[in-house]
Amino acid sequence: MKRLISTTINGRERELAVAPNRTLLEVLREDLQLTGAVEGCGVGQCGSCTVLVDGRPVSSCLTLATNVEGRSVTTIEGVAPAGQLSAVQQAFINRQAFQCGFCTPGMIMAVEGLLRDEPGAGEAQIRDYLSGNLCRCGTYSAVIDAVKDVIAEVGAARDRASAG
Amino acid sequence: MRRFELLEPESFTAASAALLEHPEAKAIAGGTALLILIKHGVYIPELLVNLRKIPGMADITWDAATGLRIGALASINDVERSPLVREHLPMLAEACHVVANIRIRNLATIGGNVAHGDYQSDPPTALVALGAVVELTTATGSRDLPLADFLLGAYETALEPGELVSAVRVPPPGAGWRSAYLKFTTRSSEDRPAVGVATLLQLDGGTVREARLVVGAVTVTPSRMTEVEAYLGGRTLDAGTLAQVGRMVAARIEPIDDIRGSAAYKRRLAGVQAERALELCSTMGAAR
Repeated sequence: MKRLISTTINGRERELAVAPNRTLLEVLREDLQLTGAVEGCGVGQCGSCTVLVDGRPVSSCLTLATNVEGRSVTTIEGVAPAGQLSAVQQAFINRQAFQCGFCTPGMIMAVEGLLRDEPGAGEAQIRDYLSGNLCRCGTYSAVIDAVKDVIAEVGAARDRASAG
Repeated sequence: MRRFELLEPESFTAASAALLEHPEAKAIAGGTALLILIKHGVYIPELLVNLRKIPGMADITWDAATGLRIGALASINDVERSPLVREHLPMLAEACHVVANIRIRNLATIGGNVAHGDYQSDPPTALVALGAVVELTTATGSRDLPLADFLLGAYETALEPGELVSAVRVPPPGAGWRSAYLKFTTRSSEDRPAVGVATLLQLDGGTVREARLVVGAVTVTPSRMTEVEAYLGGRTLDAGTLAQVGRMVAARIEPIDDIRGSAAYKRRLAGVQAERALELCSTMGAAR
């Protein structure tokens, strides 16, 4: 039997009718047409379906949709206003940190989580945090470079703010 | 996924009653273990009992007399990042940090981890070494069971019908202990452990006053190496002692074959990793 839940998706409050066996990924893609998060493995290993729940990266393929009741979900569609790019997205473009792009939305959402959890992360921490996001094109080194760029940018902005 | 119904009780009483009324139903917390079993058709539920609405289930508290209490629904990442865990039980934070990947650590819970009874997991090994106790709750009361007695076999626990894991508690470790958890994977860095070793040492200068050594993920439940612990008492951790520890662990452990290694391989691996864990613990182990 479907149940009604209220939740926030990309900043917008929504009332959703979800069946108990539906995953968050299914509801995002099929009910809300938010198709940025994609299903790779379906068992939490590849990271392609990564979204943020209350700011923390989770595998949406292993999250029961009912569990986001009263919580805030951010998908790749919500990281920047329409027509704009987030700092992480821009850094991925600058470094060409993708080839086929299938893993990219999940990769970027994981980086958004990293910036929140470890805003000053060094390379070892970046590698450790992203170790569960798989890219079969092998763009890992470009991804690490992109993340280092963003962290350096954020640090420089912070220094400017404190100097000013 | 296959269809199933979901109950979302708001109290232990209601959750326990639901599980007693529906013996085939399972409690679900983070879902990272159960949903995979359902997706693979290994477990076909008609009803799941979701614990998320029971209040206070994710709290982590510390008491100097009784130690750490981790609510069953605290995520693995909550445990890893808890300042209380990092201060008092750093080995538990280490063992939680090496679980799977950040997304799973944000979903999976400590209660689900122990209730699932999966031997290929990091936290149970550390928790057994730390003398953790599982708090089991029903509608009428609760009982405590050492985790070492709660884990009976691969995916088998001492959980009775209608019981829920409500918390995992760890007694205060006492002063002067160093600890280390060492994980070894055979497939990829974020894989489940092929072997995990948890060790605690109380050192008097270079001499071992007391040692604890638990080897996990090679046997169906974590194996405490009591004879090795006794051997270590009063010795210095020199190359000869470590080599003897390696031989003793390899001789005593009874590993099982699985996709992460053959029993013969894991026997040798367990010995080597025990040596490395002790060395790590004595030189760099987190002290408190």
